[in-house]
Amino acid sequence: MSIIETENLTYTYPSGTKPSIRDVSIKIDKGEFVLITGPSGCGKTTLCRCFNGLIPHFYQGELEGEITVAGLRISEQPIYEMAKHVGLVFQNPENQLFALSVEKDVAFGLENLGAPREEMRKRVDWALNLTGIYDLRERAPHELSGGQQQRVAIASVLAMQPEIIVLDEPTSFLDPLGAKRIFEVIYDLNRKLGITVVLVEHRLDLTARYANHIAIMDDGKIVLDGEPREILSSEQARLIGVGIPKPTRLYQILRKDRVNLSNTVPLSSDEMAAMLREALKSQ
Amino acid sequence: MSVFDGLKFRRVYSPIHNLDPRIKFLYVCAIFVAAIIFWELLPLAILFLIQVPFVILAGVQREWVRSMRGAAFLAIVIFLTNFIFSFIGAGYTNPAHYLEYASAMTLRFIVLIESFSVFFLTTSPDHLGLALEQTRIPYEFCFAFTTAVRFVPVLAEEAQTIMDAQKARGLELERGNFLKRIRNYIPILIPLIVSAIRRSLELAEAMESRAWGATKNRTNLYVLKMHRGDFVLIVITFLILAVAIYIHLFFRIPSLNELLGGLF
Repeated sequence: MSIIETENLTYTYPSGTKPSIRDVSIKIDKGEFVLITGPSGCGKTTLCRCFNGLIPHFYQGELEGEITVAGLRISEQPIYEMAKHVGLVFQNPENQLFALSVEKDVAFGLENLGAPREEMRKRVDWALNLTGIYDLRERAPHELSGGQQQRVAIASVLAMQPEIIVLDEPTSFLDPLGAKRIFEVIYDLNRKLGITVVLVEHRLDLTARYANHIAIMDDGKIVLDGEPREILSSEQARLIGVGIPKPTRLYQILRKDRVNLSNTVPLSSDEMAAMLREALKSQ
Repeated sequence: MSVFDGLKFRRVYSPIHNLDPRIKFLYVCAIFVAAIIFWELLPLAILFLIQVPFVILAGVQREWVRSMRGAAFLAIVIFLTNFIFSFIGAGYTNPAHYLEYASAMTLRFIVLIESFSVFFLTTSPDHLGLALEQTRIPYEFCFAFTTAVRFVPVLAEEAQTIMDAQKARGLELERGNFLKRIRNYIPILIPLIVSAIRRSLELAEAMESRAWGATKNRTNLYVLKMHRGDFVLIVITFLILAVAIYIHLFFRIPSLNELLGGLF
């Protein structure tokens, strides 16, 4: 059952002369971990904004085609209604935290929805624990590191218990270790709570292993859409300039040189290592 | 950016910090009124001293001394103008009396500064925002207030970055006369404003994504509750006010000169 479904979605910003996304049709199933990638300016962010109604309600502009998220038609719902179903995490952690303490920031969405205090307390603590920032709850956001701030941002959408979390390059301001931790948190949410995750990311090295669905965009269109192993080993993905995970690339090269490797394309170095060990043993 | 240091509230726990900001504000107002009704040195000195225990209880002596030092220049100006003009106005007689009058006016100013600084040093912006919200001020204003406080350090940091970047490109900030120096800051201000506008758009986006404006009956994670300390402060506040008004109405306050008995 698809939880997000778009059909021939085309959108032009009010200031734009040509559409930022064109004829985008994508189906995302409930509980999937979807990775969207592609070169900068290809329309990934625009697509994310469509998922919770920022487009067309906040940005106006011209939206054509159909989009349904969590069974609701975006064009007919106000953004706050969509916010209950879709949590959006942005690139810059600094600009999505407004309160003077972590705890208050996590509660912000629930306060807006008018949740009763006891309920709010419970959900805030739950979200803080899940993202591993319970100890930071009384700190001010600007005292935290980028990685911690981004975890606060995740907790703050998580507290609203959405079915879908959309993350738009959440780690581009973070160091590799901070980024890795964020991905682990996101993967946990997907695996343990069954939340559908849509992750826009360039760092495929770190994320491809978690995904069970990858879409590659280029120039406003979805050019490849499907199973990660298949897509990342395709020639087209490499030509677009997507950062193919190094183990996958290595596998491709070795296969070309007719090294005898099994047929499953590796996505992580662990998988690649296991595969090489096997190949060496059988020789 | 030392200018912004004063706005960076340090989270401390003390009996004074935990007081309800509304009651603290009431207390500040009472001190304000008391300081305004007296023209004499003696009661103003008492008002000054009354507040010292608060400062010590809150453990903010160092910050408090710093803010007092900040007020020193203005205090001296007030003292000199009061003394010179009243002394000249009186036709150069009785300097001791006017010296005392000028000191009283200065002390009044210091008492006002003192009470406000105690309030702001011991009230977190978070608490203040909460107090605003619970006095039924529209939430938009309270939100604007807390967000402004939240972004002061961020903008200060950004201003520093822009300054460094422009200096690296050869901008000289400390050159030329006064007007030129102000003009030097234009290449700093423009990027700062542009980036602040961009930041505000991103903020709006994030707010919308978190159900901003979903309901009129917004709830709040925290509530301000009155504790025992708050009631004690209320009693102290009214006591100060009552005693001040009573003394003002029914007693003639001796001046320092009379007390010291014709030393001059």
